[in-house]
Order: sequence, then C-alpha cells, then structure tokens
Amino acid sequence: MKNLKKYILSAAVVVAFMSCSSDDNNPVANNVTLEFNNTFGDTPIVLGDATSNAATKNTSDAGQIHHFEEVKYVISNIRLIKADGTEIPYHVNDLDNGATVVDQSKPETLSYVMSDIPAGDYTEIKFGLGVRSDLNTLDQISFPTFYENAGANDTQMHWEWGTGYRFTKLEGFYDTDNKQLSFHSGSTVEGEEGAYTQGVDAYRDITIVLPTTTTVGNSAPTINIKADFDYFLSGESHTVTLVSTEDITNNATPSAHTATEMMKFVENIGGNGTTDHTGMFSVTSVEN
Amino acid sequence: MKKLIRSIAFILLFIGCSTDDTEPITYKNPELALDIPVDFPELNSSVYNNMPTQYGVELGEKLFFDRQLSADNTISCSSCHIQESAFADHNPKGIGIEGRIGLRNAPPVQNMAFMQFYNWDGNKLQLEDQPLVPIITHEEMDSSILEVIGKLETDPSYIELFNKAFEGEGITADGIYNSIAQYEYTLISSNSKYDKVKRNEGETFTTSEAQGYAVFQDKCISCHSTELFTDQSFRNIGFPINPDPEEGGRTRITGLVEDYMRFRVPSLRNIEYTAPYGSFGQFATLEDLLDYLDNGVLEADNLDPILKDNNNRIPLTAQEKIDLIAFMKTLSDVEFLGFED
Repeated sequence: MKNLKKYILSAAVVVAFMSCSSDDNNPVANNVTLEFNNTFGDTPIVLGDATSNAATKNTSDAGQIHHFEEVKYVISNIRLIKADGTEIPYHVNDLDNGATVVDQSKPETLSYVMSDIPAGDYTEIKFGLGVRSDLNTLDQISFPTFYENAGANDTQMHWEWGTGYRFTKLEGFYDTDNKQLSFHSGSTVEGEEGAYTQGVDAYRDITIVLPTTTTVGNSAPTINIKADFDYFLSGESHTVTLVSTEDITNNATPSAHTATEMMKFVENIGGNGTTDHTGMFSVTSVEN
Repeated sequence: MKKLIRSIAFILLFIGCSTDDTEPITYKNPELALDIPVDFPELNSSVYNNMPTQYGVELGEKLFFDRQLSADNTISCSSCHIQESAFADHNPKGIGIEGRIGLRNAPPVQNMAFMQFYNWDGNKLQLEDQPLVPIITHEEMDSSILEVIGKLETDPSYIELFNKAFEGEGITADGIYNSIAQYEYTLISSNSKYDKVKRNEGETFTTSEAQGYAVFQDKCISCHSTELFTDQSFRNIGFPINPDPEEGGRTRITGLVEDYMRFRVPSLRNIEYTAPYGSFGQFATLEDLLDYLDNGVLEADNLDPILKDNNNRIPLTAQEKIDLIAFMKTLSDVEFLGFED
C-alpha cells in the first residue's frame, strides 16, 4: 500500500512536470535560422559553366561582365546580441557545431539552423567570414565533421599547404570571351594573435544591426542574410579590374593562390576590419 | 557452489584492484644529445620544446619510411626524401600517389634543426607543423591524420613505440608530428671535405677546389652564407618562372608584391646529390645553373639588388665555373648520404 502511494505520487509529479513544459508559453530557447541569399545586387545567383545562358551575369564597376560556376564560403563564430548588449555565442569554439560551408550548389547549405538560442530580443548579429586563426589548423581530431564537410571532393575547402581552411572559393568566368576566374582566400598567419610572426589574416568579423528586432521564444525566427557578390569586384574598398597577364600588381587571376592582391578581394567581400564591418553582407529581413 | 561463489568474489576483487590502483608505468626514454657542429647557426627554438629522444627518433624514423602515411599505401616521406640524395630526390617536382605531380622540387631534409623557415616559401616556422602537409595534400599522400592513425593502431609495435616515446599516451596526431620532427632534427650533415678542411682534420683542398672557394667567397657568399650555406633570406634571382598558376613564391605567404617569386635561398650542402636545381627543377645540372647566372637572368621589379647591380647576371669564366663546381662538391658528406659506414 505504502509503495503504491509512492508510485502514484511519483506519477503525479511526472505529469505535473510534463504539463508544465507543454503548457509553457515562454520557452527558454528556440531555433534561429540563418538564410543565405547569394546575389549580384538584388538578383539571386544562378551558377553556370563558361557558356551557360542560365547563369546570372554581372557587370563590375570596371565594366567587366562575369559569372560564377562555384560560390562557397565558410561562416563561423556566430554571435547574437541582445538589445542590452549581451552577446550569445553559438558554439564559437567548436567548428563541428558552430561553423558551416555555404555552398550555392547545395541548397541545404543555404539554411543554417542554430538550436537552443536563449529566448530574448536580439538586435544585432556578428559572424565570421572564414575561420578564426586560433581554430584554423585543419584539426581533424578536434573537429572531424567540419573537417570532412569542408574537405569533401565536391567542396575542396582545405588549404593543405597552409594547413588551414579555404575561407572563400569562387570559380567563374569574366569578359565576353569567358576567361577563367578563380579566387581562393585563406589565412597564412603564424604565431599568436596580436603577435603574428608572418602571413596575412583573411578572417573577417562581420557585424550587422538587424533591421527588425528578432524575438526568440515562441517563435523560431529566420534571419535573411544577403551576400552580394557584386562587392567582389566592386566593393567599398577596391574597384578591381581582372587581368590575365603577368601584371601581378593588378590582381591575381586566374588563381589567387598567387594573390599579391588576395586581400583586396577579402576587404571587398569581408570588409576592411576598421571602417567597414559588413563587406558584401546585409540582413534584408527578419521573419519572427 | 560455495567454492564457485568464492571464486567469483575473488575475481571481482581482483578486477576491482586492477582498476582502482593502476601503477603508472614509467617509460625510460632518454634524450639524445644533438651533436651540434661548430659554427652552425642557432637552433630553431622549437627544438627545445621537442628534444629528440631515443624512442621519439626511433618512432619518427619508422614513420618516415612508412607507406601507410599515404592514402593507397604506396609512398612514404622517404619516397621523395631519399638519403642518397641528401633526403631530396631527382624529380623536378615532387611525385605523390598515382603519379600526381606537385608544385615544387622536393627540398633536402638536412640540418633542419638550424633552419628558421621551412619549404621554398617559408610557410612553416616549426618543423612539427610540416608533416601534416604532405599527408593531406592531394598531389602528395592524399590521406588524413585520422586515416593514418587508424592504420597505425592495427600494429601493436606502433602502439608500444608511441607509448615508449610519449609516456604512454598511445598513438596521437601530435606524437606523429613530433616524432617525425625529432627524427629530422637528427639529420645533421657536417662531415664533408669542406668541414674537415675547416677543422684541420688532415684534408686539404685541391688547387681547383681552393680557387672555387675563392670564387664562392667573391660571388656567392652574400646569399649562401653561414655554415649552412644559406642566409635563409627570400630572394628573386630571376630564375625561369614556374608556369603553374599556383606559384607565387614567398608572396603566397605574405601577400606582399615585393615577395613575388622570391624563394628561400637553398643550402649548398650535398648539392652534388640533389639535382635537378631550382624551385621546380629548372636546371638539370650545376653547369646549366651557372651558365644561366652567367648569361643573365629574368628581369623583375623585385630582382635581387645584387643581380640588378651587375646587369642581371653573375659573370663567371669557364674556369671559374669548373672551380666553383669542384668547391661545391667538397660540400658532399658521404657519411650523411650513407655511402660510407
């Protein structure tokens, strides 16, 4: 009898808790989805090979028509900022759970769902284009999932000789005769942050004030992020003329591995890190 | 029945014992004394954090020669870094699995402990950071560190050796990197004829070698300085340019225009055995290389001032070339190359 009483009590407690959680109008956390829209201006990018008619064409400020066959970039170090300034980091030290490769050819990568974002009103988002130097070591042991995703044969976001990740990989064609265009960015820094002994840091921290307060709670909002690749050649920092000669002071086509000018492109799409913290990115809308 | 229960109790007791008070196994793994040659430059400071040990070096050597480091188990470090070639090879550019051809000439692995920059463009500053690069590079071994660890874990002798080398830590990525670096730190070449002449060990230069040494001091030593025969600077000396669009020389690391097609000055030690020469094996022989420098190099904005000041060439007479090559051959270390016991 005593046992039975206990049993009933326990069941009652369990039911009580269950009812709590299911009736609760104020969940403590919910998902936030980042929706990446890769565009030239307001036109969504359609990829295509050299002679594709379907591919979205763009003309740079320098008058060069161009289109892309591949558009890939790494997003990591995501932080949502509340109205009171509190920063909510999203697995910022864990590439497996907090970083992603956005790949225009794979629609599923254009939506990045962040789970368990604490309820609240958010007014700003920060994220990294690329991988912070302290995590940028192609460390398969620590982050096997991200390592594998980034290194897949159809993704190729490992920068082996630098033992870091490629941050951006753009392949395409330019001018009316469709010369090859190829841009890869990545960091080559050695040493500790603040005291690098050599190399360039191609990681860019992006900060965007949200156009509408994003409320996490009952709703699981979507933040629509536009990545306007018109900035690639016609950015805030530089107007680039693509060349295929040996004139290295102009830029580095067809391959930016030789990029004396890699940082020009990095500053155009990721900001210069001082006056421009958005580069090609903007938030077009928030769906609460 | 009672007996059985007692036995089980005993067994449980023992299991309890062995898990509760495991005596840490102590591994004896003495540090090896590096035989640092007189007048060599300072050690790379990383050496002090990864001092070669008896089992570390043994493990590193075993890994260096192990083809399991490549995806299809066909090549090892030693496939491109061959002792008789001063741990370089004779291909213009490195050849990886399935005959894939890389970007650059495989550099000799010698006197690494005294280098401050590794590879043609100096992208690595610590030797421990280097082994992963060929393991994962598509044109080299095209594997991954977890794939390599997976293979090594099937071999008990490796598990034992890793434990001995790194205090029972088992097979780890860092153990792979550190042990290979430790082995390479021990690859010191300092017993050439040149060294023996310098140390007054009874050898003397022939007339041609002595004249070559004089030419060297007059026309080469400003870059090929120190007892390593490199000042470890990065220079563009107007060699034919690698047509591979991936190539940018040192600028690939720094992003600076002035570093375009600059490469680390290579050591001249054992150069007799490291043909072909240049960052992608542009020159089949030392004669070809000296002829090129004599005839005139490619113009470039950042061409080394020494060449610019000399009409883009290093003028050499036919006799000077013969003597220079005779001198360079005195830098061959037959002991290091494994030609002598």
